Amino acid sequence: MSDAAELRGLRPLQSGQGHEFASWRTGALRIAVGLGLILVVAQATYVVQARPQDLITGAHGMADILWRASPPDFGQFQHELWPAIETLDIAIFGTLWGVILALPLAIFAARNTSPSRSLYYLARGLIALCRAVPDLVWALLFVTAVGLGPFPGALAISVHSVGMLGRLFSEVIEDMDKGPVEALITTGATRLQVFSHAIVPIVLPSLLGITLYRLDENIRGSLVLGFVGAGGIGFELLTAMNLFQYQTVSLLLVITFVLVTITERLSAALRAKLA
Amino acid sequence: MSGALIRADDLTMRYPNGTLALEGASFEVAAGELLVILGHNGCGKSTLLRCIAGLQVPTQGQVSVSGQVLTGLTGRALSTARMKLGMVFQQARLVGRRSVIANVLCGTLGRRQTLTTMLGMFPRDDAPVALESLDAVGLSAFANQRASTLSGGQAQRVSIARALAQKPAALLADEPVASLDPDAANEVMQLLRRISSRDGLAVICVLHQPELARRYGDRVIGMKKGRVLFDAAPEAIAARDMDALYTGTAGGSYHE
Ligand SMILES: Nc1ncnc2c1ncn2[C@@H]1O[C@H](COP(=O)(O)OP(=O)(O)OP(=O)(O)O)[C@@H](O)[C@H]1O
Ligand SMILES: [Mg+2]
Repeated sequence: MSDAAELRGLRPLQSGQGHEFASWRTGALRIAVGLGLILVVAQATYVVQARPQDLITGAHGMADILWRASPPDFGQFQHELWPAIETLDIAIFGTLWGVILALPLAIFAARNTSPSRSLYYLARGLIALCRAVPDLVWALLFVTAVGLGPFPGALAISVHSVGMLGRLFSEVIEDMDKGPVEALITTGATRLQVFSHAIVPIVLPSLLGITLYRLDENIRGSLVLGFVGAGGIGFELLTAMNLFQYQTVSLLLVITFVLVTITERLSAALRAKLA
Repeated sequence: MSGALIRADDLTMRYPNGTLALEGASFEVAAGELLVILGHNGCGKSTLLRCIAGLQVPTQGQVSVSGQVLTGLTGRALSTARMKLGMVFQQARLVGRRSVIANVLCGTLGRRQTLTTMLGMFPRDDAPVALESLDAVGLSAFANQRASTLSGGQAQRVSIARALAQKPAALLADEPVASLDPDAANEVMQLLRRISSRDGLAVICVLHQPELARRYGDRVIGMKKGRVLFDAAPEAIAARDMDALYTGTAGGSYHE
């Protein structure tokens, strides 16, 4: 029998088996998954006490706030410039220290570069801890520890970034093309030389891209941190809300929107350049 | 032959999972000699080269290079010994983002201070060395091009240039022409031929094409299931022996 004939002979047989298989086992599985999904959605709707009618009756209140919030009070712009800079700098400081701490941790937490098994698990655990606790909770902790202001915010962003960056960095290192690394080992290069001439040039673009993305996320994160007293725009927003200065609130939202859009675009453009 | 440059003695390799990849392989290669290794998939050719290059430690036996035993060395002594052996793989294994010349310069790392080279500073006299080895593979015109823009054949020649910049006494090539078209394959084989006969390096080259082995090899070793089946000049190998290499080995790998 020629190859082609063999293939023709085999195809219907295989797909026939597939259909038989699909007809009852897979079918039952699909129904079960569908029922399960419906159940999950139903209990979520019940637990959040969803009341769509309140949205309609509440529309009046929302319109009132919107009315009182416009136009934004641009006279406050100069006054709010400093908190805006603070928000940016919390993100920059936090990202920078996040990178500085995440890099060595990631090297320990990548299976192919970790010096020992116990260090591997220790690094993994630290990274998981930093990541599992949200930055808002870290900020609460640091506000208690070092007092109000931008510094606890910057610390919170750093620690949370260590978790996010550490995991992504170690994945990049683990998935790296090992060919050039081994090639350099055979030239008699030392460990450090292999690191600087093979590992760094291979992974650097990905690491930079991840860091830029993190910076973008951190700016959004640091906007919120002020709610718990960690400085920046968020703190201003909270104060204005409490004092019912809705026109200041809307100005702050405009500033936030501009900040987030610009950094998002900038970070995306830089990342596109790296690729 | 008294002038053995590389000597493999009773090399045996059992991987941690129990696979016996090499079983008492012994042979010698002299300076200026091109030795071809043939054998079915999974017969242990790559394992053999990796043991010689010191990338793997054999479970038994030893490798010596110009009289110095390499097996068992560690740390700085191992890196120094490795400099005598250049290695080329099936894939060129270049750092694609860097220039061709930067990749070739990496071959000189073993001779240089860790700290200065880490900052990207190579001694001035290394540039001519790198250019010279690039010239030897006929690619000096490509020095400043990004390595990722090269064709497969060119990339392979650059990887040979990187190994030459190391100024090794021997070159180990693991299927260097496996992903090249016939013309590019012949170019690379001619290059290896020249490196051994003109520059006096010992060259060990793993191939899957008996006809290339006959055309370019000074000597051919046939391996089967981790053992050396024959070791002879190409003209002394009977077609029957060549066929025996590849019979009864379907399935590729060999487990005990
Ligand atoms: N790291 C490893 N761990 C366990 N077994 C391995 C390892 N590397 C190779 N082997 C096994 O050792 C045997 C020899 O492998 P090797 O790669 O040396 O063969 P080869 O002759 O180079 O084959 P090919 O022609 O396909 O390249 C094979 O059975 C392979 O499965
Ligand atoms: Mg192989």
